[in-house]
Amino acid sequence: MEFLLNPYYMQLITFIIINAILGISIYLTLSTGQLSLGNAGFMSVGAYTSALLTLKAGVPLYAAVPLGGAAACLLAAIIGIPTTRLRGIYLAIATLGFGEVVRVIILNLKITNGALGLSSIPSMGVMLSKGIAAFGLAGGIGGISVRQLGSIAVILILALILGFLIFFALRLSSSRLGRAFAAIKADEHAAEVSGIDTRYYKLLAFFMGAFVAGIAGGLAAHITFYIGPKDFAYHRAVEILLFAVLGGSDVVWGPILGAVLLTVLPEVLRFATEYREMIYGAILVLMMAFRPQGLISESTLALWRTKLTRQPKIAGQDKVTRRTTP
Amino acid sequence: MVTRSIKKKGIVSLFLMVLTVMVLGCSSEKSGNKGAASDGSTAKIGVVSYLTGAGAAYGESIRQGLELASDEVNAKGKVKLELIFEDSKGEKNEAINAVNKLIHKDNVLSLIGPTLSGEMFAVGPIVNQEGVPIMGTSLTVEGITEIGDYVFRNSLPDSAAIPQSVKKAKEKFNLKKVAIMYSDNNDLAVSGFKIFEKTLKEIGVEVIAVETFADKNTDFSAQLTKIATLNPDAIMVAGLYQEAALILKKAREIGITVPVVGNNGFNSPQLIKSAGNAADGAIVASPWFPGKDDAKVKSFIAAYKAKYKKEPDQFAAQAYDALQIMAIAIEKTGSVTDRQKLRDTLATVKDYSGVTGKFAFDEKRNPSMDVTVLVVKDGQFTELK
Repeated sequence: MEFLLNPYYMQLITFIIINAILGISIYLTLSTGQLSLGNAGFMSVGAYTSALLTLKAGVPLYAAVPLGGAAACLLAAIIGIPTTRLRGIYLAIATLGFGEVVRVIILNLKITNGALGLSSIPSMGVMLSKGIAAFGLAGGIGGISVRQLGSIAVILILALILGFLIFFALRLSSSRLGRAFAAIKADEHAAEVSGIDTRYYKLLAFFMGAFVAGIAGGLAAHITFYIGPKDFAYHRAVEILLFAVLGGSDVVWGPILGAVLLTVLPEVLRFATEYREMIYGAILVLMMAFRPQGLISESTLALWRTKLTRQPKIAGQDKVTRRTTP
Repeated sequence: MVTRSIKKKGIVSLFLMVLTVMVLGCSSEKSGNKGAASDGSTAKIGVVSYLTGAGAAYGESIRQGLELASDEVNAKGKVKLELIFEDSKGEKNEAINAVNKLIHKDNVLSLIGPTLSGEMFAVGPIVNQEGVPIMGTSLTVEGITEIGDYVFRNSLPDSAAIPQSVKKAKEKFNLKKVAIMYSDNNDLAVSGFKIFEKTLKEIGVEVIAVETFADKNTDFSAQLTKIATLNPDAIMVAGLYQEAALILKKAREIGITVPVVGNNGFNSPQLIKSAGNAADGAIVASPWFPGKDDAKVKSFIAAYKAKYKKEPDQFAAQAYDALQIMAIAIEKTGSVTDRQKLRDTLATVKDYSGVTGKFAFDEKRNPSMDVTVLVVKDGQFTELK
């Protein structure tokens, strides 16, 4: 218990959850087979909108974060309507360009404070611990300080959001909408011929991804006190993509596992000091060599399901076939 | 069936690999902790620095300056210091994780770092909340020590250095109209630009052109050609030494011979190395002056050269002084665990004289120290008199 209450691990958990939310955002766009690298851009829009609203306009946190998501969504409409007509690598390049454009605009706007970034952003943890203190628990409970309680509350809120998003993504995959997404991913032409309005569904997936990325950005801004344009550069876009590449993009658990591993790994490797980056790189290469499709795929899930339920493979196969038929 | 079992093997081996890495990580942490805890008289100081990535050169200088200082302090034997280095890669999330690890796992007495201002803005509030003294050795932008009472810096803010060099240059070269160039995607340079602009306005020098560039740019001919046609008395440049060197080269190439006043980015032997003859006439204000006729500076340079086979730069010098100041404060408190006392003692540090000159913290925990305005002459930094 003491181990988990260490602020170092609690901070790490918040980063893991934020990254997992970003993992879901890329999963949502990837579920229609669209490779979008604009998520870092949407994240920055969410982060800056939310931070500016709280800093300059005094909007409360709980309203600012969703508004950040909405702003990202709005921008997704502007960029998405022309670009979702693009396919594969062309979409990737267009969205990558979009992310860079957003970054350059942020660099040159006065309100965003250019390269200096925004500092002393109201922190969720500080706010919550103040709330808890006002609630009459200023001394903490059972040896847990108010600050720790604040951090626990932050983790709980983030976990709730993540839990809701996972639930949403799971329900989505077995809904009419999710089936349409899967059909488009499998074969866009076939989907179109069978009467699915591919443009509409692709745009919808793009919007959902942008919204979730915007929310993640808003949350990230209120966890770290400071945001600057550097945080949302090209490497961020690639990092988000890595969650999906490493974890697998077939099922929502894939990007989440990817996010967890890629956040924990650099910290676990701290003991290696100078060799940290090398080992990190080597692990990524090895993982890609062993599992180019990502760590978790449909068949992995089915395999574990049969294992856990100890039923012969019929049950597993049944699930596999049911899932892949749109 | 066959493919499935192969897949299974792959997964199992992967998980095993991840597990071993994690176990390795945990076990080495534990042993490290034990070793430090058994010795109760050593002050543990955590260092967060930019050790890998594009800015690793800065982090390396800082690390070497700190190691040298720590060796000297330990050799004297009044206080025992143990430095624990953590890499931040120049990213704020990494820096946050690094300070959290240092504070809550290694249980350090105080912190030195991080390297970049952006990192400090993210890390400072957390460290301040925990009540751990932190000292920045390379942070020059505005608003650093305003983060909180536990945040110190021994690097001279741009707001103190730039006006001095500008005023000196005006006096010396009778400046009437100048052009400014700055890197608009670098926080340090943007902050420097603002101070240039403000100072010039105050002393009544006209700014006839403001041109921007970006970090990692290599071609500055468009900006410089435009500036050349305006015939300014001097050019002010805010950026890092990589770009500054290229700007100097290009400016001299197209026939601009006027002095170039730089921000802290100019303050590096690398500037002269990469710009060569073109660096002549570059002006920068700095508390660190390697050519100073001072016994401390000379012995520092000699010791540094002996250990690392290269010339120390300002980052090494400032880091060296930072740890010396920290050691003095620790010695005064006589405790290797009392963070509150260390903060209070640090805030009262006065009359320390180090390699960057006389040093004291002002009431806002910024350094108040003498600045020397330097000009490059025949490939050497010399004092501008």
